[in-house]
Amino acid sequence: MVDAIAPRIELVGVSRRFGERLAVERMDLVLEPGRIHALIGENGAGKSTALKMVAGLVAPSEGSVRIGGEPLASVTPRAAMDRGVGMVHQHFMLVEPFTALENLILGVEPVHESAWSKLPLLGPLLFGGRLDLDAARTKARALASDAGLAVNLDARVSDLAVGEKQRLEILRVLYRGAKAILLDEPTAVLSPLEVTELYATLRRLAERGHTIAVVTHRLDEVVRFADDVTTMRRGVKVHAEKLDADARERATETIQRLTRAMMGGDVPETSRRPPIPADAAAVLELQSVHVAGVGSRCLTDVNLTLRSGEVVGVAGIEGNGQRELETVLAGLVRAESGAIRLDGAALFTDGGDKAAMVRDARARGLVVVLDDRHHDEMILDATVSDNLVVGDLGAGGLATSSAVATDEAAVSSRRFERFAVEPRDPGRRGRELSGGNQQKVVMARALDRNIRALVLGQPTRGVDVGTAHVIHEAVGDLAATGAAVLVLSADLNELRALSHRIVVLSEGRIVAELPPSATDEAIGRAMLGVTEDGEAAA
Amino acid sequence: MRLLSLTTVAETLRMAAPYACAAVAGVWAERAGVIQIGLEAVLLSSAFASVATAIASGSMVLGVIAGIATGVALSALHAYLVDKTRIDAVVSGIAWNLLAYSASRLALRALYDSASNSPSIEGFRFGPTGNEGWQVLLRVLCDPVNWLALLAIVASPVILERTRLGLRIRAVGENPTAARAAGIDVGRTRLAALAISGAIGALGGVHLAFDQHRFESGMSAGRGFIALAAVVLSGWLPGRAALACIAFAFLEALQFVLQDIGQASKAVTLAQILPYAAALVALGVGVGRRSAPGGLGRHAEG
Amino acid sequence: MTPILTPARQRTLLALAGALVVMNLASFGFGEAPLETLGRIWAGTWGTPYGIGQVLFKAIPLLFTGVAFGVALRAGLFNIGSEGQLAMASLAAGFFASKLGAGLPWVVALPLVVAVAALVGGAFAAIAGAMRAKLGVHEIITSIMLNRSADVFLPWALAVGLSVDGVRTAPVAEGARVPPLERWFPSFTGSAASLAFPTAVIVAFAVHAWTRRSRIGRELEWVGQAATVCEAQGIDVARRRMQAMVLSGAIGGLTMMGTVLGYKGYYELGLGAGAGFSGIAVAMLGRGGPVQLTLAALLFGTLAQAGIAINARVPRDAMGVIEAVVILLMGAAAFASSQDEVKSPVPANRKETAG
Repeated sequence: MVDAIAPRIELVGVSRRFGERLAVERMDLVLEPGRIHALIGENGAGKSTALKMVAGLVAPSEGSVRIGGEPLASVTPRAAMDRGVGMVHQHFMLVEPFTALENLILGVEPVHESAWSKLPLLGPLLFGGRLDLDAARTKARALASDAGLAVNLDARVSDLAVGEKQRLEILRVLYRGAKAILLDEPTAVLSPLEVTELYATLRRLAERGHTIAVVTHRLDEVVRFADDVTTMRRGVKVHAEKLDADARERATETIQRLTRAMMGGDVPETSRRPPIPADAAAVLELQSVHVAGVGSRCLTDVNLTLRSGEVVGVAGIEGNGQRELETVLAGLVRAESGAIRLDGAALFTDGGDKAAMVRDARARGLVVVLDDRHHDEMILDATVSDNLVVGDLGAGGLATSSAVATDEAAVSSRRFERFAVEPRDPGRRGRELSGGNQQKVVMARALDRNIRALVLGQPTRGVDVGTAHVIHEAVGDLAATGAAVLVLSADLNELRALSHRIVVLSEGRIVAELPPSATDEAIGRAMLGVTEDGEAAA
Repeated sequence: MRLLSLTTVAETLRMAAPYACAAVAGVWAERAGVIQIGLEAVLLSSAFASVATAIASGSMVLGVIAGIATGVALSALHAYLVDKTRIDAVVSGIAWNLLAYSASRLALRALYDSASNSPSIEGFRFGPTGNEGWQVLLRVLCDPVNWLALLAIVASPVILERTRLGLRIRAVGENPTAARAAGIDVGRTRLAALAISGAIGALGGVHLAFDQHRFESGMSAGRGFIALAAVVLSGWLPGRAALACIAFAFLEALQFVLQDIGQASKAVTLAQILPYAAALVALGVGVGRRSAPGGLGRHAEG
Repeated sequence: MTPILTPARQRTLLALAGALVVMNLASFGFGEAPLETLGRIWAGTWGTPYGIGQVLFKAIPLLFTGVAFGVALRAGLFNIGSEGQLAMASLAAGFFASKLGAGLPWVVALPLVVAVAALVGGAFAAIAGAMRAKLGVHEIITSIMLNRSADVFLPWALAVGLSVDGVRTAPVAEGARVPPLERWFPSFTGSAASLAFPTAVIVAFAVHAWTRRSRIGRELEWVGQAATVCEAQGIDVARRRMQAMVLSGAIGGLTMMGTVLGYKGYYELGLGAGAGFSGIAVAMLGRGGPVQLTLAALLFGTLAQAGIAINARVPRDAMGVIEAVVILLMGAAAFASSQDEVKSPVPANRKETAG
């Protein structure tokens, strides 16, 4: 079904500037057909930008993109698509209310040709072709079975699980006849089993002659599945190698070598978790908590107790109750039934308004940092100094009356310095900061209070390694003071490094509790709801 | 006029046309993601253009065409400005309304030396004369502008749901970023949607003017805003929006019924509030609380 | 070193240029030679003390509505209901003031009447505000419905008893009248300028300072920028939105102070019509701060007075066209100068809280 070998794709002397910042600097890259090429680097290294240039989404400031030796004439998604390049984005480019089939054909819709549409001017406008969904369905089914991608074509995208959405994105790219497939951080939201399935699909496609390029920071996956590795650091290509069987055998060594290339040095070690005293009191308790929701986005009969000094990790496929857990603990969502207690005292019992509940919980020492930074934690258009005090402004009066003004300036300054936000100018707008620095602002604000229990949603997502390390250290320090910490993360390594134990959420239930030494496979099985006796949950 | 009479039915249908055209125009624009507050401007400008052209050329058909062309031009310009200059669509819509109102009055003064009315035009007078209920109804049913409007309203859901253009317009309205990633030109698609919107809205304006057989200053009288309410209440569905407009038109017709009952009582003038109060209540109660298209007011990101 | 023609000044020049072009076209259309027209405009506006006074008078309502629209916009709300709010408030204040005892001293009468105006304006705006804050209904549609409702209500109210002759209220009590500027500046004799102008300027500055320094003001801006973040951080988004609308309505309620309590001394049906929409143009042009806002109001006041100076040959409708063109030009220019220190008042892609 697939044509002959895909063309060679090259970036020749490519640079990309965003304002003052040089995101990519004079990069040369070659993507060979029939191979899986991994582009690695930590957050902010420029790898996504480089990939987007190949896909025609971002125009290079210098240099050229060549496909089969020919430079891309115009840098648009359409032009790249016409040359056989297809991209699967990190944040899916899907129209949620449409069906999978409609999303699949968007932009290349098959239509019934009719006499009407041939009318000049009005024809194409008014009779822009009646959609031929049957033809589309036939072609899609054939492609899907050929590539081994199972997708329910007539389901609404909003009803699809994350893994299925990703399969749809890959199918979309194939539907347009893509010979080169680019994927941006595809495994960030997948369970371990789904990761294996994805790479199996990619290998199948590569064997047929497609060019596959994956941007990722998961080195363990790279060593297992990739053929070629290119490393970027601060916008520059610093290392390239071909992985042979030997390199795969000596995985640890290879990973260390790649890590050093990525970081330009060794990674700081996270300090050991402090052990929990045997008689530690319960700090945060959830008892039979139910939160209503759509499909698996709910909480059903959740029982969880965090003791003083304990760090508990929450693993799970995205969309299985994580957001509900975060928001119910924050006070943004009301539990239908069940109780939430902090240091023995019940929370969220008044029928008060949302804002009061949020503030009350925070004042009592239950602090939640939600996972969607731009939606819930950071005002992009406001300055850093404003962001540092959002939600903490005192009651009443002008904030410039002497006492209060000094207070605010002192508080703001203290928070700014805590994690050393860069650039060193609190007057910058939030949107000018990198992901890591935005998270520093958010964490500094959250931690600057008396905390009994801290809930962190995806605390190091989109964050550079240096900042991630700082955040992990802060978690350890906090636990040492006797507070309890709940960390929800899609990064199993992070959970293993931080937690005393890991619970797994599936369809709104806690289905397993595992030690941090548990394998990816064990956690992965639990994420899919496979119970002890090997049966998948209904 | 009596409450449950053929005349009331006829008058309701007659009055509903401009509301419905404006509402469906609003649906076309907003389903593509472009906030369109400027429906008053479309109604007024097309009304004026159609009358002016009819007077100048003597041809009613030319008048209709001119009216439609004006509506298309105005709406397309709105889409173009919103896309290319990123002007806020709400602000732009308010400006268009202001512009159309003032410019049409200026033109009225300049062309016809009047502060309020243009000279009369023939319009389309088909069907029996007379004021019997069935005669009024027949005239309404024979009006070619009504037919065009009906055609547009009926064709709208078909085009939106079943054609390639419709799919793209809806995609651009729900998620412009995703649409662009699929290779669709968001600006051009929105332009097409607004052109259609302008044409349908213009039919409403033409109907207004031809129905009164002349242009009167400010003759849209807030119908464009009621149409907006209908768009929201209908959940951005063209068929339901048209139905909501029939309800509003009925309330307007009701005023005449009340006038007959209440003679010259001052309280009757208060009845003019009915459509607005009804809209407020309906909106508050949350009739058809379907959410707006996800990309309404947004541009493609990245 | 900042260039002389900063983006903000470019925009102002653009607005002026646009206005001049339209005026010239209009005057051509009515058979006037442009130079002659300009001469008369000068004499009627900034060329004589009387003219200046008239400009100030015309600027008063524009400044109030400009501030009102700006306050709501800060919170991400479009208060298009200024027209209705100012009309209801003016009627209420005018009627109330006409019922006050003649001997009541101004220290009591004036603040009372102003309070009534602010209250009624705020209350009328609160309807749209509440529907938005509690029910999630967009304030654009509700404001417009309320405007039209006011249009119907006012003539009826005047007809059934609030007026003396069906269209206007009885004269306001002496104590409630705003003194004209000519009392202190004899050169302004004959003009309608009153203390209402400096009052409007003070209000503009006070509101600006308040929104930047007070807790409510700052949280208002954050709500306008990112309502979902504010909600997650414990800020009462619904309450702030409500407060923004009520404040906007209250300020808008003062719009006709200079006319009802000043020049005319009574409320008449139709007073202030169009000021609400002009306020939008003023707010767009005057985005930089209270100084810019005042200048913008003065600009439009000049244009309005200029219209009268040329003997209404270029009538009120030309003003409407000019204002609309200015709004479009300002809105479009905002994108061109995206590196501006004054950011757009309406952030692109602003997210709304559900409900």
